[in-house]
Amino acid sequence: MHARSLRHKTTEVKILTVEKLIYAIAITLGWLTLGAPTASAWQATEPPPAGEVHFNRDVRPILSENCFRCHGHEPKQREAGLRLDDRDAAIQYGAILPGDPAASLLVERIFEADADLRMPPVESHKSLSETQKELLRRWIAEGAEYEGHWAYQPPKAPPFPRCEPSISNQIDYHIDAQIHDLGLAPAPPADNVTLLRRVYLDLVGLPPPVDLAQRIAAEPNQDWYPAVVEQLLASPHYGERMASDWLDVVRYADTVGYHGDQNQNVFPYRDWVIDAFNRNMPFDQFTEYQLAGDLIENPTTESLVASCFNRLNMMTREGGAQPKEYLIKYAGDRVRTVSAAWLGTTLGCAECHDHKFDPFTMRDFYSMAAFFADLRQWGVYQDYGYTPNPDLRGWSNDHPFPPEIQVDVPYLHRRIERLSREATEHCRQAWRPADASPNLRAARDRWRNSLSEFLAAAPSGWRRVVPLTARDAKGEPLSLESAEGRLHVDRKGNEPVVLTLSTLYPIQSLRWNLLSHDGQSRTALPPPAGDFRLQLSLALVAGESAGKKVDIDFADAQPVRPRYANTHEILGVADNWVVPGDAPAGSSAVWRLAHPVHLTEGELLEIRIAGSLPPRFELQISPLVPDDLLSPDDWGIDLSAIDGDPLDANCQAWLARQATRAGVLGSDARARLHNIEADIRECRRGQAPVQISQPMEPLTTRVLPRGNWQDETGEIVEPAVPVSLRRDAAASEHRLTRLDLARWLTSPENPLTARVQMNRLWKHFFGVGLSPVLDDLGMQGQYPSHPAVLDTLALEFQGKGWDTKHMVRQMVLSAAYRRSSTPDARMQELDPANIWLARQNARRLEAEIVRDQALAVSGLIDLEMGGPSVFPYQPEDYYAHLQFPDRRYVASADERQYRRGVYMHWQRTFLHPMLAAFDAPSREECTAQRTQANTPLQALTLLNDPTFVEAAKHLALRGLGEAFASDGERIHWLVWQVLQRPASPGELHELTALLAGERTRWRANTADAKALLAVGLRTPPADVDIVEAAAWTSLSRALLNLHESLTRY
Amino acid sequence: MEPYEQLHSQLQRRTFLGRAGIGLGATALGILLRGESRGGGSRGGESWGRSLAVGGGPHAAVIPPSSGRAKRIIHLCLAGGPSQHESFDFKPRLQELHGQPFPESMTQGQQLAQLQNTELKARGSFAKFRRCGQAGLEISELFPHVGSIADEICVLRSLFTEQINHDPAHAFFNSGSIIKGRPSMGSWLLYGLGSESADLPGFVVLAARSRAGGAQPISARQWSAGFLPSRHQGVQFQTKGTPVHYLDNPPGVDPMAQRRLIDIVNRLNRSAADTRRDPELETRVAQYELAFRMQTSIPELADFADESPETLGLYGIQDPRDGSFASSCLMARRLVERGVRVVQIYHRAWDHHGGIEKEMPIAAGEVDQASAALVLDLKRRGLLDDTLVICVGEFGRTPMGQGSGRDHHILSFSGWLAGGGIRPGVAYGETDELGYRAVVNPLSVHDLHATLLHLFGIDHTQLTYKYQGRDFRLTDVSGNVVHDILG
Repeated sequence: MHARSLRHKTTEVKILTVEKLIYAIAITLGWLTLGAPTASAWQATEPPPAGEVHFNRDVRPILSENCFRCHGHEPKQREAGLRLDDRDAAIQYGAILPGDPAASLLVERIFEADADLRMPPVESHKSLSETQKELLRRWIAEGAEYEGHWAYQPPKAPPFPRCEPSISNQIDYHIDAQIHDLGLAPAPPADNVTLLRRVYLDLVGLPPPVDLAQRIAAEPNQDWYPAVVEQLLASPHYGERMASDWLDVVRYADTVGYHGDQNQNVFPYRDWVIDAFNRNMPFDQFTEYQLAGDLIENPTTESLVASCFNRLNMMTREGGAQPKEYLIKYAGDRVRTVSAAWLGTTLGCAECHDHKFDPFTMRDFYSMAAFFADLRQWGVYQDYGYTPNPDLRGWSNDHPFPPEIQVDVPYLHRRIERLSREATEHCRQAWRPADASPNLRAARDRWRNSLSEFLAAAPSGWRRVVPLTARDAKGEPLSLESAEGRLHVDRKGNEPVVLTLSTLYPIQSLRWNLLSHDGQSRTALPPPAGDFRLQLSLALVAGESAGKKVDIDFADAQPVRPRYANTHEILGVADNWVVPGDAPAGSSAVWRLAHPVHLTEGELLEIRIAGSLPPRFELQISPLVPDDLLSPDDWGIDLSAIDGDPLDANCQAWLARQATRAGVLGSDARARLHNIEADIRECRRGQAPVQISQPMEPLTTRVLPRGNWQDETGEIVEPAVPVSLRRDAAASEHRLTRLDLARWLTSPENPLTARVQMNRLWKHFFGVGLSPVLDDLGMQGQYPSHPAVLDTLALEFQGKGWDTKHMVRQMVLSAAYRRSSTPDARMQELDPANIWLARQNARRLEAEIVRDQALAVSGLIDLEMGGPSVFPYQPEDYYAHLQFPDRRYVASADERQYRRGVYMHWQRTFLHPMLAAFDAPSREECTAQRTQANTPLQALTLLNDPTFVEAAKHLALRGLGEAFASDGERIHWLVWQVLQRPASPGELHELTALLAGERTRWRANTADAKALLAVGLRTPPADVDIVEAAAWTSLSRALLNLHESLTRY
Repeated sequence: MEPYEQLHSQLQRRTFLGRAGIGLGATALGILLRGESRGGGSRGGESWGRSLAVGGGPHAAVIPPSSGRAKRIIHLCLAGGPSQHESFDFKPRLQELHGQPFPESMTQGQQLAQLQNTELKARGSFAKFRRCGQAGLEISELFPHVGSIADEICVLRSLFTEQINHDPAHAFFNSGSIIKGRPSMGSWLLYGLGSESADLPGFVVLAARSRAGGAQPISARQWSAGFLPSRHQGVQFQTKGTPVHYLDNPPGVDPMAQRRLIDIVNRLNRSAADTRRDPELETRVAQYELAFRMQTSIPELADFADESPETLGLYGIQDPRDGSFASSCLMARRLVERGVRVVQIYHRAWDHHGGIEKEMPIAAGEVDQASAALVLDLKRRGLLDDTLVICVGEFGRTPMGQGSGRDHHILSFSGWLAGGGIRPGVAYGETDELGYRAVVNPLSVHDLHATLLHLFGIDHTQLTYKYQGRDFRLTDVSGNVVHDILG
């Protein structure tokens, strides 16, 4: 009630109350029955509001919806030379005579009885209600005062009677005043568990831990709340939750969107956004880094990664696409994104004509586009004969989308470290020094002895070998020169060459060194030389295993010309080493064999070389494998120390690893190590490429008449922000840059950015923006329900360091946020749409969070952060209709299967069906507002998508792992897990009945039960009671399908 | 108010309800929507508003259902850009000019795709044409079956478009705009007319498998609802395997068990509705019911066992579940029989930059018999009168050769329509003597959209949706109904 007591003039308020109540009803019902979502239109049967008419609140929506199209600022559209958007012009015309409605032409024409003369005209399909007409009349009678469009005016600090109240108090003051005036009472605070779940889902996108929920449930009051808020604001998962909104707005996705919809390298940008939210980077800096991270003084890796923002537009490499046309498409895409993301305006509508409603011209559009004309980019990212691109010579559909840089990815480094530890531990156990079997011990000893023998002969760990023969493909001998192991084969044309080797030493690695082509020069090839390919295959000849292919596990080389598959660099050179023509002498490749080769008497190893053959080279073998194939001389230990006794721990671990790799400790142990090592390699040394902004000499930007890219008659424009939003109209001294744009966006001069961000943030916590059309605060948007709140927030955000967490804190600490979302009868009657916020809005969780909560409550979730996108189960063949290149979806087969939704692979043309079903946008265009559908596809997904079935199974197994005295207790436990609240007696009854039925059913069909339990990667423990597990899985499925599971109340 | 103004304000009202996402009381919503459905043949309050099926669910039409001839549409999308010169637009002069330089006077300043920076030479048709039907329509021998139904179809020879690359051209043909996030025409139809199926989505997309080369990728955005409520989006049925994602119960779960599970979920949701006063709960219950109905009805739909060998033969179906264009056509008929409003079939084998003489006959062979069979089958079942069939690509191909093929071309292309109130047995529009540019009755994509909507009884200027402050429509700011092709 404090807000009430704070009002200045209580008596006046009382009088106003009735009127405002009517006003509110009219607003509410008016919106529902007249339906124009942008206008606070009046229902015809309701009287207009008493008191002063406000232009922005009352009049502008009517004029904008019905009149401005023909009588607005756009001269080409203007009828009869009349404009009503400009007071002076309207007065001069005689349309408006302030204070004298009877003499105003406007009034005459809207009340005109003759339908042919009445405004708005029939063919416009617009019409004014009696109430609207009366309002216009009264507005003129009261002096016809105009106000600038609210969103284009600087935010105003609304009066507030107390000294330095917190922003959350101010929020409540304004909201409560409105509620009380309406005769509504605010809903009571949400109960403890509901509030806890709400604030968890809103701030970190995860349900609260059950033990915390149980503790909080017992709290007598909500004193615990501020501390929990602080804890969540400090959680790293806060950034993951907040990032999704922003990723929608900037249209972040893993693929380029046009035509072949190839992958693009952008995930480090996503990780940066998450991190920026976590670090609470001030929004002005956040803006600057994204728009101009490459232009700031001393760009850092971080600012360059952030500048990936400018590279998130859709891109093409379709054959026959015209580079120039696509550069225009990219420019339009950027203008639409920047104007929607920061300005909440539809400047993009001015591409072909001046804006119909807002004060933006085509010139504004192209001037905005000109900011981005300095970005290094290609209209078509490929080199076609008909559209040559000398920069991208030889590029294919598999190549990346430059410019890019390589960056360190903390996630990948963590993963490498973890996998390395796992490998070490695995090898240690495989070696089993303590209790090895006699066989294993013998094998180990044999291997060590042979290793010692080898090292005695080749202390460096590599032994040079000279082939016995060199032949062509038909078996004809070729001349083979060998001077101290430096080989040269006289080859005929491009025929394959076959070398044979004989050695008594085991071969685990084969090394190929390129030598100076003439013995003196520093290069391996006589310049000028193009790239050449070395393709190698191995087989055994002669002897027992003749004809047996020798498998290569992996090979790597330096230097190497990278090859790509769907934008990712292909790892290794096992099938093909593309050697750059300028490779220096001394370059080498190492082939690591899947199994060591022990040549027996008479056996030979055949090396077949296709592709090119370097002029001079040498071959080396080793029974060992370097840990890093790119540093083949670095064995990680002193090789002479391996015969020591006792061995030092390092040496021991090394030996265990080499022995495991060689299969000495069993084939299972070897296979497991090879898998771990492949996983490590996949981490690419902890680095990943990311697309960035790179400035160049700006291209010319012209106004394109009617948006036609082939028309070069338009005026040339320089970068500039929209004229109508500029306070200082003078032209700048220098050509403005993206950095200037970024600074202007967050300058005090710009009234939009802070409001737009705060409106969007409000929507995050209240379900609906204060101005509900999030992507348009312009004339056709909607007047805010609580302008004072929006302006208070905007001023605080702008004035106190663009501190996002501070604003979040103020919102969630407000009483308005903490209210129950259950309407009482009076609210349902007076404010069914909850415009005045007497209660919270319940809302369905966002697609990613629907996934996250199921994984979290089941215990499957992997809360690792960042890194390459992950691939949850997806129906087979979903990508069957994607080409250039063909696509195969491989679901993540390890813990990455259980990563959070924000890390899911985002394929623009075929978004994962689960994400699509729950209204996640394809992110082809800037999306500020996701739709909220409720469809049978959602039901099918929750019922049948393996992700949700596996979650149910895992939850059931977890429940069975706990000791309970009764089924009832276990059901209680389940409900706590899924809904973080106690089960009601009704629920207990229903679920108990279901359990009984399910037990009977599964007992009769254990094969079916096994099939159900086989869903997903995780297999149940061998000793599990199949019937119980399946029955409890059914219960868990029921709970995960409840509307409440998907809803934040 | 004029009926259309009424419609307009009703549409806007629904717009608001759909877009605001605000929790209206279930009762208020029901009353509002029932009011709106007056005269529209609603099946009752439950089926209204947000408690609708995928793509709209069974609900009364905003447009009175009797006002248009067409009730359903089957759109055969020959993706890649079929050559009009080997199908419907024969030009003797082009044959004469074969191999000669193409007149520069015609091509100057025009947009080219892969023929940029090359010498342009005329390429005559490699296919022969025959006069077909009573009107003697010229149709190529690559399409003998379509030729045999010449009296049923209306051939369009003067189509033109604005986009010369596949991706934007598909976007333009489907949504009237190249900006992403705009609704497809199927979604507009569903938004305007609702769905008549109680247990199937109102807008179904099939992507046929093909043995031919020249496949072009397609994108789910081509059947996106864009800014319309997502229930109006097209639902892609897989042509092989499970037709709808997640339609099959989990392994080991039989329909009875699934039913029991849905029952308890619904009971618990209903009882929560009493205390929560959350209207979404009732909607959720309805959606689970609908999901279950889909689970039962779609397998029956996908099972062609009740089709006679004669019918399978008519379409040329070898294996009913092979995902071919022929099987997809039969599936389309089964879908429209069950009340599905919009069916799109993509056949992605028409991008003949090279090897056109080898590849195009294969593509035509896959499409010709089945598309003609579809028209005949609809007719004999009495469905053709109110089912519109449209067969067309996203653009055409150049009368200039590109090696052994033809490049993309936007100034002219051909297609055909049948049923749904179309005048049969006629050809509309003409190109110049080389087939380069539509010169007589040029037909824009927006004109085609306007005409299609007209056949459904919809004034294309009135079917609007407010988004980002503007009333958007399928035809953007242009489009004229072509009355000459109406029956």
